[in-house]
Amino acid sequence: MSDDDAIQAREALRADIARLANGDRAALESIYRATSAKLFGICLRILGDDREAEDALQEVYVDLWKRADRYDPARASPISWLACMARNRAVDRLRAGGKVRAGAVAEEAASDVADGELPADAKLELDERDAGIRHCLGKLEDRQGSAIQRAFFGGATYVQLAEEDAVPLSTVKSRVHRGLAALKKCIERL
Amino acid sequence: MTDPIAPPTELSDQETLAAELVLGLLDGEDLLRARGMLARDPAFAADVARWEEHFAPLLENWDDQAPPPAVWDRIDAATAPTAALPAPVTDLDGLRKSRDRWRMIGGFSVAAAAALAVVIATGPIMQQTSPPVTTAEAPLLAANIPIGDTPLRLALTYVPGRDELSVSSAGLTPDGVHDHELWLIDRQGDLHSLGVIAPGGEARFAVAPDLSDEFGDGTRLVLTREPLGGKPADADAGPVVAEGAFQAI
Repeated sequence: MSDDDAIQAREALRADIARLANGDRAALESIYRATSAKLFGICLRILGDDREAEDALQEVYVDLWKRADRYDPARASPISWLACMARNRAVDRLRAGGKVRAGAVAEEAASDVADGELPADAKLELDERDAGIRHCLGKLEDRQGSAIQRAFFGGATYVQLAEEDAVPLSTVKSRVHRGLAALKKCIERL
Repeated sequence: MTDPIAPPTELSDQETLAAELVLGLLDGEDLLRARGMLARDPAFAADVARWEEHFAPLLENWDDQAPPPAVWDRIDAATAPTAALPAPVTDLDGLRKSRDRWRMIGGFSVAAAAALAVVIATGPIMQQTSPPVTTAEAPLLAANIPIGDTPLRLALTYVPGRDELSVSSAGLTPDGVHDHELWLIDRQGDLHSLGVIAPGGEARFAVAPDLSDEFGDGTRLVLTREPLGGKPADADAGPVVAEGAFQAI
């Protein structure tokens, strides 16, 4: 997908979300066609189970139908917003099922993140800033990066991270806080 | 190995909390507090959106996977006009009158549903005028809000058309220092006070008529801890100690 195509796709998606927020239900199908493979990929990767991922995907679009008016184009790109919705739904399901994935699995889910290489077929708006988070996450001290990734991809809370790493809660928190501060600094420098 | 000395952090507490919310690290009261802030503090909501924007690209380089066609069928069915009303066109306004009137109109539910379909199909223009169109079987709304780590629950019931919310807080005891105030989060994320809970009793809160159309299935509620008597007019709302949502019953 060329840059122009990506920009057009993004604008079309933005317009569809605005239509949906105004009650135009036809826009939902259009959004689904444009984004469901991406979002299903996210759900599947996080949940590791077809059935669960399908249920999560359904929740994402039903939720979108009800809350499209929450989307603020000034704050987020539409695909980022939807990707986060899918991730949040998937993680909620992981937790509801008591299946928060242990460190090894979550890091495997994140494995193609740290090396900064994008798959050749990556189709979505991957500009320099997008590659930035991967670069910056890769630069963090190992334990900081690991904690942040296990939370984001595996749904681990502070309490679970502390248990997994067998360290006090305060240690995990300070690791994450320092990781976040370094991450922000790195992203802003790019 | 010990952790290296912390570099000077350039994150404010609020930015850190926003990142923690995005990453899903919080639980318990911290989570409720962050959600409460997300609902009512635009600056915090902007921080949350910024972190989401930072992290989202991590989700975007995985392989696409086409979901089975059945998933769309289920979404289509779940969002069909007769199944679930989208928030923007849910209109409980017309229900402000007595329920008896709706029993009378019950016979015309097919016509009402058809009219509703028109509202949805025509979208924004019809929304502006908010015609008092709804299904005859507008449901009662109930919410059951667990309070902290206690086995206690706040039970709420809202009868559309009566502008009245009944609140049961059986088992709750006053601590002599705090009161708890119940809030509705509207579709814009703003908080509206519904009243101060009288511990251990049954109470009925009158609902302002212009708020009644915010009551619907899924409407979120939060409980904050306040000084005795409820939130002072010149202060921000206190910490969120519990939250829940209405369900149609």
